[in-house]
Amino acid sequence: MDTSFTEEQEMLRTAVSDFLIKECPKSKVRELEEDEKGYSPETWKIMADLGWIGLAIPEEYGGMGGSFQDLTIVLEEMGRNILPAPFLCTTIEGIFPILDAGSDEQKKEFLPKIANGELIFTMALLESSGVYDASGVATKAVAKGDSYVINGTKLFVEMAHIANYLVCVTRTKEGASPEDGVTLFIVDTTTPGIHCEVIPTIGMDKLCEVRFEDVVVPSSNMLGELDKGWPIVANVLRKGAIAKSAESAGGMQACFDMTVAYSKERVQYDKPIASFQALQHMMADMWIAVDTGRYVVYEAAWMESEGLPCAKEASMAKAFINKFYQEVSRLGVRLHGAIGTTRDHDVSLYYRRAKAASSAFGGNDLHHETVATELGLVK
Amino acid sequence: MDFRLTEEQEATRKEMFDVCQELNKKRPRGFAGLNFAYDTGEGWKFHRYCAEEFVKRGWLALNWPEEYGGKGTMMDRVFFAEARGYYDIPGVDGFGVGMLAPTLIAAASEEIKRQFLPPIAAAEVTWCELWSEPNAGSDLAAVGTTAIKKGDKYIINGQKIWTSGAHNADWGFGLFKTDPQGAKRHNLSFLLLDMKTPGITLNPILYMTGEHTYNEIFFDDVHVPARQIVGAENEGWKVTQLLASFERSNINNIMTLQSQLKELVQYCNETEVGGELLAKNPAIRDKLAEIACELEADRVLAYRIADLQNRNQMTGFNAAMVKVLTGELTERLALLGTEILGPFGQVKFSNWAPQEGVWPSEYQHCFTESISMGTDEIQKNIMAWYGLGLPKSY
Repeated sequence: MDTSFTEEQEMLRTAVSDFLIKECPKSKVRELEEDEKGYSPETWKIMADLGWIGLAIPEEYGGMGGSFQDLTIVLEEMGRNILPAPFLCTTIEGIFPILDAGSDEQKKEFLPKIANGELIFTMALLESSGVYDASGVATKAVAKGDSYVINGTKLFVEMAHIANYLVCVTRTKEGASPEDGVTLFIVDTTTPGIHCEVIPTIGMDKLCEVRFEDVVVPSSNMLGELDKGWPIVANVLRKGAIAKSAESAGGMQACFDMTVAYSKERVQYDKPIASFQALQHMMADMWIAVDTGRYVVYEAAWMESEGLPCAKEASMAKAFINKFYQEVSRLGVRLHGAIGTTRDHDVSLYYRRAKAASSAFGGNDLHHETVATELGLVK
Repeated sequence: MDFRLTEEQEATRKEMFDVCQELNKKRPRGFAGLNFAYDTGEGWKFHRYCAEEFVKRGWLALNWPEEYGGKGTMMDRVFFAEARGYYDIPGVDGFGVGMLAPTLIAAASEEIKRQFLPPIAAAEVTWCELWSEPNAGSDLAAVGTTAIKKGDKYIINGQKIWTSGAHNADWGFGLFKTDPQGAKRHNLSFLLLDMKTPGITLNPILYMTGEHTYNEIFFDDVHVPARQIVGAENEGWKVTQLLASFERSNINNIMTLQSQLKELVQYCNETEVGGELLAKNPAIRDKLAEIACELEADRVLAYRIADLQNRNQMTGFNAAMVKVLTGELTERLALLGTEILGPFGQVKFSNWAPQEGVWPSEYQHCFTESISMGTDEIQKNIMAWYGLGLPKSY
C-alpha cells in the first residue's frame, strides 16, 4: 500500500497549479463568466501543447498515455483555481467513450485532434426529466438510409455552445428495459437542425439546451453498437462522478484556505476573528471534510485507474463530496460575513459552483440509492 | 498511489479475521459493544479467554522491538485492530497494550521495560489509566493529586476519577504532581503503581446502562517506589504526548461501525413494517447510504494514517480528524439504529430485543469515542491552534 502520489504526479500537480495561478486569476474567471464563449481559446491551446488535454489518451493516438488518476490530479487543481474551460466534458465525455467504444477509424479521426486542442467534445445526455438514468433518454434517432435522424431536446449539456462535437445519447428502440435501445452518435455541432442556447445557471458555467430538429447523422458516426449504448454512458457517469468529485475536492480546499486566511486578518473586538472558538470549530469541521473528502476521491480514482469495479466507491465519493463541497463553501461564506455574499468575492463564486458540481453526474438522490443497493438493501 | 496490500499482508490480515471470526462464535450472547460491556461477569471471562488466544499468537506485542518479545509491523497492528473491531472481540487491554506498552518502549528505562513489557505481552497484568481528576478533565495538565518524593518513594495523596476498569486492574499508570510549586506541564510525573498498594480506595461509578465501568479512586499516603517512574521527574507531561508511537488510525472503531451497519442492513432486509420491508423505505435507504459514504471516507483516511505510521512518517492532524469523524459517526449510527428499530430500539437483551439488544446498548455507549481521550471539542481546538495556526481562544 502506498497512499502517496508519485514524484511525477506531484510534479504534474505543481505544474498545473503554477500554470493556473498565472494564466487564470479569479478576475479572469469572472470575466469569462460574462463572456459569450465562457473559456479562453488561447489558454486551451497552451494546455493542449502542454499535453494536459490528451493526458489520458494513449500515445498511439497523440496523447500522453497517462492514467485516469493523473487526470484527476489535473482536475483537482482546476477545481481549486476554477478554470472555466471545456476540459472535463472533452476528456470524460469525449475521450473516454471513444476509447471505450469507438472504432479504430473513429479513434484515429478524433483522438489526435482532441489531444492537440483542435476539437472540443461534450455529451448530450440529460433531458427534461433531469435524471441520470436511461429512463430519461427520450430523444429519438430513426434510421433513414445510411443515416439516422435525431429529434429531441437535451439539457445541461456542458459547453455545447462552443463544442465541435456532441456525443448524443438517443433512443433507437423501446426495449424491455430503459437501458435497452439506447444508441450513441458523434454529432458535428454544425449539422443543420441543431439549436443551442445557454441556460442561465447560478454557476454561469455554460450549461446548454440543445434542440435537435431532424438532424441527419451518418450511420458511420454511431459510437458503439446499435441499441447497446447505455453501458458506455454508465462508464462515463462513473468516471464523471469521480472526476467531478476530484475537481470539487480542489474547490473545497480553496474555500477552506481562503476562509482560514481571512479569519486571521479580520479584526473585531480588537482581535482577529480566528481567535473565537465558535469559528475555530467551524474551520476544524471544514478541514476534516476537506482532508477526508480528498482521500475518498483518491481511493475511487485509483480503483477506476486500475480497472477495478468501483460503482460503489465512485458513488460514495460523489455523495460525500456533494454534501461537503456545499457545506464547506456555505461555511466559507458564513465566516466571511457580508463581504462573502458579494458578487466580487471568490468565496461566493465557489459556493455557486458547488451547486453546479453537486448536480453534475448525479445528486445524492441518485448516489445514495446506488450506495444503498450496493450495501445489499433489498430493492 | 496504490491501496492494495501485499500478499503477505493479505495473508496476515486474513488470519487475524479468521481467528476473530472463530472467537465471535464463542461470544456470550447479549455482550455486544466493544470494551465496556466486557468489564463484568461473563464478559470478563470471555475477555480473558480471547486474551489467551492472542497471547499464544504473539498478537499483544505486535510491532514491539524483538528484544522485548515483539514481532510484526505497524500494519499488522492495524489489521489486528480491524479484525477485533469488526467482530467486536475483546481480549486486548487497551490501556496496557494500546497505551502503556508503546509509551514504555518510547520513554522508559531499560529496567522498567524489562520488568513491565513481558507481562503485558502475556496478558498477565491488567492496567488502568489514572489521568482524569474531578477538576482535571479536558484540562488534564491541571491534575492536583500529589506524589511527593521521600527517600526512595513517592507518597501519593489525592483523587482520580473516570478510571475505567480499575476494579479489574492489577496495575495503574498515572500523572501526578511531583512539584506543587512548579510551572504547569513541568510539575508532573508519570508513575506506575500496584493497585493493591495500601491506601488506595476504589468506589464504583455506574454508567447509564447500570454497568460498573468507571471508578473513583482515593489515595491516602500511598507509597510507590521511586524507580517506578517513566521519563524524568516533573517531565511526565511530555511522556503523555508520545502519541506518535501509538497506533492512531482508529480503524478498530471504524470496523465496528461497518459491521454494525451491515447488521442494520440485514435487519432491514428481514423486517417488514406495515407490510413492506424496511429495506424498501426510501428514507431508510437514504439515511443508511449517507452514513455509509462518510464511514468509507473515514476508513480511507484511517488507512492513510496507518500507511504513514507504517513508513514512520508524520500523520499531521489526520488522526484528530478521524477521531472526531468516528465519534460523530458512532453517535449518528447508534441513533439511526434505534430509530429504525422503532419501539424495539429501546429493548435490552431479551426476547423482544432485535440483534441481541446491541442498538440500545450502542445508544448509551456511543459517547465513548467523542468524550474519552480528548473530547471532540478539544481535538478541534488542537487542530485550530496547532494545525491552522489560529490564536488560542483561552
